[in-house]
Order: sequence, then structure tokens, then C-alpha cells
Amino acid sequence: MNAAEVQNLCKTYPAFRLKEVSFSLEGGRITGFIGRNGAGKTTTIKAMLNLIHTDSGDITYFGLPLSGHEKEIKQRIGYSTGTVSWYPRKTIREIVDVTKTFYSGWDEEAYRKYMELFGLDETKKPIELSEGMKVKFNLMLALSHRAEILILDEPTSGLDPFSRDELLEVFRTLKEHGVTILFSTHITSDLERCADNIIYISRGEIRAACSKEEFLREHGKPEETLEEIFLRLEREARL
Amino acid sequence: MNALLRKEMRLSALLLTYLFLGFAVMTLLPGYPILCGVFFITLGIFQSFQSAREANDIVFSALLPVAKRDVVKGKYQFVLLIELCGFAIMAVLTIIRMTVLADAPVYRQNALMTANPFFLGMALLLFGLFNTIFLGGFFKTAYKLGKPFVTYIIVTFAVIGAAEALHHFPGLEALNAFGFDHFGLQLALLAAGALCFIALTVLSYKKACENFERIDL
Repeated sequence: MNAAEVQNLCKTYPAFRLKEVSFSLEGGRITGFIGRNGAGKTTTIKAMLNLIHTDSGDITYFGLPLSGHEKEIKQRIGYSTGTVSWYPRKTIREIVDVTKTFYSGWDEEAYRKYMELFGLDETKKPIELSEGMKVKFNLMLALSHRAEILILDEPTSGLDPFSRDELLEVFRTLKEHGVTILFSTHITSDLERCADNIIYISRGEIRAACSKEEFLREHGKPEETLEEIFLRLEREARL
Repeated sequence: MNALLRKEMRLSALLLTYLFLGFAVMTLLPGYPILCGVFFITLGIFQSFQSAREANDIVFSALLPVAKRDVVKGKYQFVLLIELCGFAIMAVLTIIRMTVLADAPVYRQNALMTANPFFLGMALLLFGLFNTIFLGGFFKTAYKLGKPFVTYIIVTFAVIGAAEALHHFPGLEALNAFGFDHFGLQLALLAAGALCFIALTVLSYKKACENFERIDL
């Protein structure tokens, strides 16, 4: 069953257009959302969270349209975006104390677990965190309320190799517990290591949305790695 | 208290906003345009908006499990709370000036506006203008603060100037009534101010919700 569906999403900016973006997220699977900088990954994700006003298109989660069910859907999804710093001069404890009051499913045990796993200190303020630690703080917020779908924008950017490895392991564990994950990245090795499905976007258009094996079969040449496939596809698209 | 208002008070607001409520005490200043107290209270609110913008507060709020328009609701709730706290202090001090201090020479020999129900009505009108011009203006973009605040400053000081001048015009002396003189008229003016406050706030809230739904964060 599909946990989320995006259909015919269009959004026009003066210098960029998202064109009829459609894909679905299979329940309990990890989907890697790949594309070069400016391809439309963040715009798509923002539209999925109702942060931007789209020209047209439908977004559904758990069979419910986002429009009209935003509140209940957001209770069941988690979102994290790279290194954005929320309330830089408040302590993590202050931010968490307020944030958790919004979630009926806030899981204090999971919160403590991820605080420890990510090496976060409750008394620190976002302004005192390195870029990598900010990513971890944002992830911790997304992971602590029993989200059924996680939408993560560049969650591995800025992380050291050990932290990336730990995070990908967290993804695999969450998947075992039935959590659906969509994560955008431009690091192909992250996809190779843990993605079940791949959504490939280029210049605002979805070029592929399928399982990793199917993607390799359809778009790859013998002996080509994922990275080589993407580089070739991008070069071909530029011609 | 709902979660959004708690978030506004604990994460988005600056301590300065609460401290600036102290400017309501300007109601007691003799020989001073006491409506300026309203401006300073709204200046305190503006400071919180400025700080919240730098903290990515609007996007953070929009990502919480609330409908997008509830972000607007949270901001309005917070602003109304501060305004009504400021108004409550002003009202208490006005009652003191109308009763125990009604005959105090420093207030009797005052060319400027006295503290009476008309003053309170004008204070509500100014708060309503802040909600329409500043808050409504802010939610057209959810990040531009300068233009709506400067517009509000111009309008608010024009209104303060007019309110201070009115009772000097022949026939309008009753606006500056002391104690419980012209009490019926005074109460009617307070009620008119309250109606303006409600109408301006409700209309601006509805428009702000519509605008906020349309903008990209």
C-alpha cells in the first residue's frame, strides 16, 4: 500500500518550474530522492508539507488528501531539513519542551535514545552546534514522535562518515518497524547503501520513480555504478 | 492555554515584549501624550516579531502538526494577549485617575488628553490599527516587517495627534471629561473604540489567513 502519493504537482517560479511531478511512497520502504542542486527536490518536499502554494496537483498521505487533513497528517509524519537553525538562542530543552506538546505520539524514550545516539546535550543552544550537529538535532525532533512517514531533506549533508553510517543504520531499523522514509540526497552512496526505491528528478521533472533494481536495469549500463548512471543521465539531459 | 500560544510565549516572544507592557504606566504621566503608551507596547510586540523572524519561527510553526492558517492564529492570539494585558493596566490606572486622583492639580492643569473612557477607546483603536496595518501587512509575506511597521508608526502618530487636539475644538470639550463627567458619552466612545478594535482585528485576521495560505515559505 502507498503511504503517500504526489500527483501532477506543478509550481512555477520566475526561473524554475516543477513540471507535473508524480510519484508514490511505498509503505515501509526507504525511498531516495535524488537530483542535482536546483533540480526541484526541496520544492517538491516543501509542497508535500504545504509550505509552498502549488499551481496544481494533489498530495495524499494514508489515503487522505493533505488539504483539509493537514493537522492529523502532520501528527503522523516527521520532517527534517539539513542545517536550518530553529530558535538559535534557546536551549534544546526549551525547544523540545514546547515542541512535544504538539504531538500526541511524542515518545520520550525515543527522544532520550536519539539524544544519546546523536551525542546531543539538552543545555546547548542551536547557535552553539556545528552544522552536522544541527542536522542531528533536526533529525532528533523528527524521530521522536512515532512518525509513520519521515520526510528528510538532505539528512546526511554535513555529517561525518561515522554519523552518516549511524543514521543509515537508524533508517534501516525504522524501516524494520514499518516506517516509510523519503530522503533527498545528492550522495549516491547513501542510496546504494539503504534505498529500496529511487525517485530521480532533473530540471523539475521526474525522470524515474521505481525500485533501485528496476532503475539499474532500465537506466544503467553494464558495470556502471549509480553515481556513473546519474552523471551520464545529467550529461545527456543537458544535450 | 493552547499549544500554539504557549509556543509563542516561550519560544517566539522576547522578554522585552513583556517588559514593554510597563509603558502602560505612562497613563499616569501628567503633561504627556499618554496614548504613546500604546505605541511603546506595540513596539515591544514588533521586537518579538523581528527576533522570531531571525529564528525561522514561521517555518518551524508551519511544520508543527497544525493547519497552516493556525500559524496566523497563534500570532494573533499572542498579540491580543499582550494588547489586552496592556489595556487592562491602562484601564485600572484610568479608573484611579478618574476616582482618587480626579481632582489632582497636575491632571486638572493639563493641556493634553486626560485619562478617561475616551482615552481607553482611542487606545483600543490604536491596537486595532496595529493589528490591521502591522500584523496584516506582515502576513502578506511572513518576513517583511519594516514597511508595515513604518506605515503603522505614521498612522498611529497621526491618530494620537488628532486625539490630543480634538478636545481643543469648540463643542468637543466633553471628550476630555474629568472624573465621571459626561459619563454616558464617554462610555459610548469607549464602546466605539472597542467595536473598531474588534472589527479591525477580525477583518485583518481573515485577510492574513488568506494571504498566508498563498505565500511560499
